[in-house]
Amino acid sequence: MKKIADTGNEQNSFTFCVGPVHPALKEPLQFTFKIEGERVKKVDFMLSHVHRGIEWMGTRRNPIQIIYLAERICGICNISHPFAFCRAVESVAGIEVPPRAEYIRTINAELERIHSHLLWAGIAAHELGFDSVLHYILKARERVLDIIEYITGNRITKGIMMIGGVRRDISKKQYRKIIEAMEYYKKQVKKISDILLKDHVVKARTINTGILSKADAIKLCAVGPTARASGVKRDVRQDEPYAAYKYLDVEAITPATIGKETRGDVYDRTLVRLAEIRQSVNIIVECLKSMPEGKIAYEDKIPKLLAELKSVEGEGIGRHEAPRGEVLHYIKLIGNETLFSWKVRAPTYANLLSWVPMLLGAQIADIPIIAASTDPCLSCTNRAVITKHGKHVVIDHEALHELSVKKTLALRKVKHD
Amino acid sequence: MIVIAKELVKQLLKKPFTNLFPAKYAPKSIKQFLRDAKEGKVKLNPPVVVPPNFRGKIEYDEKKCIRCKLCTRVCPAKALEYVEKENIIKYHLFRCAFCGQCVDVCPTGALKLTKEFLLAGYKKD
Amino acid sequence: MIEIVYKIGMVPVIAVLGIVLGLLYNGIDRKLAARMQSRVGPPIIQPFIDIKKLLMKESIVPRHAIKWLFNLMPVLALSASLLTLLYIPFCGIGPAFEGYGDLVLVLYLLVLPPLAITLGAFASGSHYATIGAQREMVTMISYELPLAIAIVSVAWLLSMANPSLPVFSLSVISNNPIWNFTTPLSFLGLLIIFIALLLVIPGELGKTPFDVAEAETEIAEGVFAEYSGRNLALFYLANAVRTIAIASLIIAIFLPWNLSTFFNFSYLSLLFDALFFLIKLFVIIFISSVFIRVIVPRLRITQVVSTYWFYTTLIALLGMLLIWIGCCLKG
Repeated sequence: MKKIADTGNEQNSFTFCVGPVHPALKEPLQFTFKIEGERVKKVDFMLSHVHRGIEWMGTRRNPIQIIYLAERICGICNISHPFAFCRAVESVAGIEVPPRAEYIRTINAELERIHSHLLWAGIAAHELGFDSVLHYILKARERVLDIIEYITGNRITKGIMMIGGVRRDISKKQYRKIIEAMEYYKKQVKKISDILLKDHVVKARTINTGILSKADAIKLCAVGPTARASGVKRDVRQDEPYAAYKYLDVEAITPATIGKETRGDVYDRTLVRLAEIRQSVNIIVECLKSMPEGKIAYEDKIPKLLAELKSVEGEGIGRHEAPRGEVLHYIKLIGNETLFSWKVRAPTYANLLSWVPMLLGAQIADIPIIAASTDPCLSCTNRAVITKHGKHVVIDHEALHELSVKKTLALRKVKHD
Repeated sequence: MIVIAKELVKQLLKKPFTNLFPAKYAPKSIKQFLRDAKEGKVKLNPPVVVPPNFRGKIEYDEKKCIRCKLCTRVCPAKALEYVEKENIIKYHLFRCAFCGQCVDVCPTGALKLTKEFLLAGYKKD
Repeated sequence: MIEIVYKIGMVPVIAVLGIVLGLLYNGIDRKLAARMQSRVGPPIIQPFIDIKKLLMKESIVPRHAIKWLFNLMPVLALSASLLTLLYIPFCGIGPAFEGYGDLVLVLYLLVLPPLAITLGAFASGSHYATIGAQREMVTMISYELPLAIAIVSVAWLLSMANPSLPVFSLSVISNNPIWNFTTPLSFLGLLIIFIALLLVIPGELGKTPFDVAEAETEIAEGVFAEYSGRNLALFYLANAVRTIAIASLIIAIFLPWNLSTFFNFSYLSLLFDALFFLIKLFVIIFISSVFIRVIVPRLRITQVVSTYWFYTTLIALLGMLLIWIGCCLKG
């Protein structure tokens, strides 16, 4: 988790730290910069201040309990993680999800994308020192949270995912309220676009700030809006359609598809995210129109489902396009009540390294907005803390490889016993 | 710049969007404020109305319960615990994740979701 | 003798009035900004509560700080701000220290608080504060140019209309409203200069979009990063008083009319004048501090410099040119 890009001379530069606790960062993360005047000459960052051991906890619970644990990996993408996890379990157990459940899953995932992107736009405005827009956007975001509460029973932790389907149906009575809210968002997103994309001062701050070239985006494996804003057409919903996306025509949004020039800067990331809100609104309306009747879960009775999952063996992968990019869950079941192994790769993990080319050469004033522009979600990302005598230790590639080999051998032994 | 200025002037003339629960400004002494509210001296602003099917605090009816222990098995947070000695299901509110799964599995309807979400208190139980 | 006693007696009155008004307008400022953002906002007396809390708290001096400089600067900032107020017509009455200092002195006094903040920040030995102090200096250099141009053109206009007057004396400026000496062309020029000055105020006060020195999300309150307790309270007071001082200066130059010159309220005139002054103060603060603050994001330091040195200076120079042409045509 360490990357140093070295340019510039040592003279008349000084070290400048941002974080782990800093007003610009919503989650702990430590940046160390070499600064010359106001320019960033060298970037280094360090994570893992909030490692929670969630994967370890997962191996002590049964798959249905893990859904709720996965939900708590991230407060904002808490449909995405259970979604990917459920898909992984379903692929192992060979469970087929009823079509109506797939549509409801899609609607919930898109509602989440709307509220996540709105929150991001607000935070980005705050990082620019534009608090009026933060309050304006968060006010607009209340509506989608109300809809989520109306459908699922809670504003943030939705608890609607279930292996083989969903837990709650959307009744015909609820359609009207959702469609009304979507109409509201069509109007509101246009206003927000006018504020964030046409304002001269905002443009002066965001255009050509934090540029990530297409080549760099591909090389550093960026995902989600970060990659798409650099012109990489990469979207799980488009590349490998799942759930209801296979019935719909979803296209990855890049600045080029909206007819704008691709620069890969903060402005383009704003552009792509706002366009994705519009896309999500359309998907939800489309889903409500074409949703078939039928069952909403493969198996209603949870104890029966649990008993079935007990005898399943094998490994599976679940992917989902979260608001921040592709989230990937790997699981391994060995015919036990609990999981043998669970591995989560949150989208931020893939986007971390793209910070380095973005931040090099930037001004101090741009650090917060560039750091925020990938929509980092660090507590989801933190997978390991390496400590020795209570201190952080940085491990290089060879040592990590050696440790991995040791661990794999140990795991093999366990299985054979 | 002009769009946001127009919106902000419009908002200046409107009432604030903030939900004023439980009072507009922080009282000088919160304990005194709560005591006054209990006696009816001050009026609390009501919280936002929650929609039907809201997942709030879970109610447990001991009489209906048949001690099948299904809820303790599906609970993701281990908030429901079967106490052997007293032959009772114990509900740990502070651990509860409000997923409502126990209510789904309960065969007799001994567990129920309520709309109560103001759960702060002075004691742990 | 009586004059001296009067002057000395006015000092605490003006000081208390300046502080109270400064905090009150700060409260109104915060409330209005909050209401524009659809929030409830703090109560109007919140700044008083903040100051009371800060005064009760311990002032922590960082280990690497230069202690005496660090502790002296807040006092210097507040006293300089209060001193400025004594040379400016305030609340419908003339300057308390009339005849002992003019507009040029006021301009120099207005530079003192930012300078004190900068020195204090450098003395604190924190990286954030150092960056903030560098930025504060750059901001200061950049807004001084349009400010100087604007003030000089006003004085020039007065001197061309009436060469015998001491044109830099504030009581002279406020007793002869400059709009009276204008032709249509120089009226336009004066209006442009007024706008340029309104743009300078947010920079002077360190409000968004020019709050680069204390940018919260970038360098964590920058110059004030290490200040706490009593020292921070003094800086807050200094800033509040400076807001009043700058707004009063603008009023004295551009909106000097009193109600009592138009209507006769006999002995109540002083009260009405004071009330009218407060309304003018509110308008100036609302436009230049509250409204500009909520509709634009923070600029980069390079953009602050280009805004002031290029755009605002250009506006001010245009105003100056129009005034000159206007006066020449008249002459």
